[in-house]
Amino acid sequence: MAQRLELMKGSSESLLLCLISQQPMYGYQIIKELEKKSQGYFKFKEGTLYPALHRLEKAGLIEGKWQMLPSGRQRRYYYLTDKGYRLLAVKRSQWQDFLIAMNLIIQPASA
Amino acid sequence: MIAVLSQYLDSVRENLRLDLVSEREVIDELQTHIEDEFQEMREAGLSEEEAANACIKLLGSAKLVARRIYEAHSQGTWKQALLASMPHLLFALLFVLNWWQGIGWLAVILVLVLGTAIYGWWHGKPVWLFPWLGYSLLPVVMAVLPLLYLPKVWSWVAVLVYLPLALWLVLTVTVQVIKRDWLYSALMLLPIPIIIGWLLSVDKEGKFLEFSLEHIRYLAPWIGLSFSTLALTVAAFIRLRQRWLRVILLLISGFLVLTMVAFYAEGSLGLPAFLVLALVIVGCLLIPALMERRIRGGKQQPRAEDAT
Repeated sequence: MAQRLELMKGSSESLLLCLISQQPMYGYQIIKELEKKSQGYFKFKEGTLYPALHRLEKAGLIEGKWQMLPSGRQRRYYYLTDKGYRLLAVKRSQWQDFLIAMNLIIQPASA
Repeated sequence: MIAVLSQYLDSVRENLRLDLVSEREVIDELQTHIEDEFQEMREAGLSEEEAANACIKLLGSAKLVARRIYEAHSQGTWKQALLASMPHLLFALLFVLNWWQGIGWLAVILVLVLGTAIYGWWHGKPVWLFPWLGYSLLPVVMAVLPLLYLPKVWSWVAVLVYLPLALWLVLTVTVQVIKRDWLYSALMLLPIPIIIGWLLSVDKEGKFLEFSLEHIRYLAPWIGLSFSTLALTVAAFIRLRQRWLRVILLLISGFLVLTMVAFYAEGSLGLPAFLVLALVIVGCLLIPALMERRIRGGKQQPRAEDAT
């Protein structure tokens, strides 16, 4: 579990950008989607989610917008900005290179 | 929302130390998160109390959440850093370029400082405001000096009437700033020991308030240098994220600049005065921190009673 958390620490930015690029999401939805899409592998600690989202927003990678729901409640949805899309493309490419290199070492036959 | 969850959000709010707009956004966002989670847990069969406790457990310590969010917001932009360091730079220029002798320049700077401070105060108290605020209070306190030159009886009457009013204004503004964040109050008060240090250094043969213009002219570049150092400190302060680093920066910079004052004053500032001013620097940090604790303690007490 601790190792998983360590792995996630380095990739939380990419995970958030990737999820938000698929559709605008609010905080609670992000936690649920991440857990569902990773089949329970990734569980974002709730107390760290909002600081991470606010850091990304301050860096201009995402933008939060309040939306009124039919029930009258408001939710803050996060959208990826152009800068966020550009960074995500770079991160994806870096991740691909990393995976190929890792496979070459760990699973030389399949690589 | 049930009491324990409201208290959790209150605790986050107390420790956020953000401007009002950001604070409201963060708290509203956390509140909708908690409501979603609480509702889901209730639908899963948990009691109100169980669901509320589970929500709090999943979010973690309110203080830690608030600190992390503070760190995500606290780093100012370079533009804010430049704007915040401007009053120190203006004060430095005042001496380096010998503007302090021209009443016109003094008036321009005074209007600029007061105007900027008032504008910032009524526009959400942004991070760049606090150094400006410190300098805008300076003329209020310094105005007591000319009163000392009035005929003796009038001088006493004027000082006894004016000084409490001036101190009341300074204290009121300081308390308002402490309510936002005591660190900003320390940032605002930082130049005080340095200005007192220079005032003590430029007096005429130990006679307080009898300044030698020639001595001021001689010390002017070093006065400028000390305020430029304060400008750099403020810029670094705005760019830092962590509170503990900001505290260390203010302490080190305060002592460094005070040492510069003592060094360039070439003995005009004696050891006792140096030590007292060093204590004033510590006080500028410690007193706002203690006052904030007291203000918050007073605010939190009724809430604790409400909950029981």
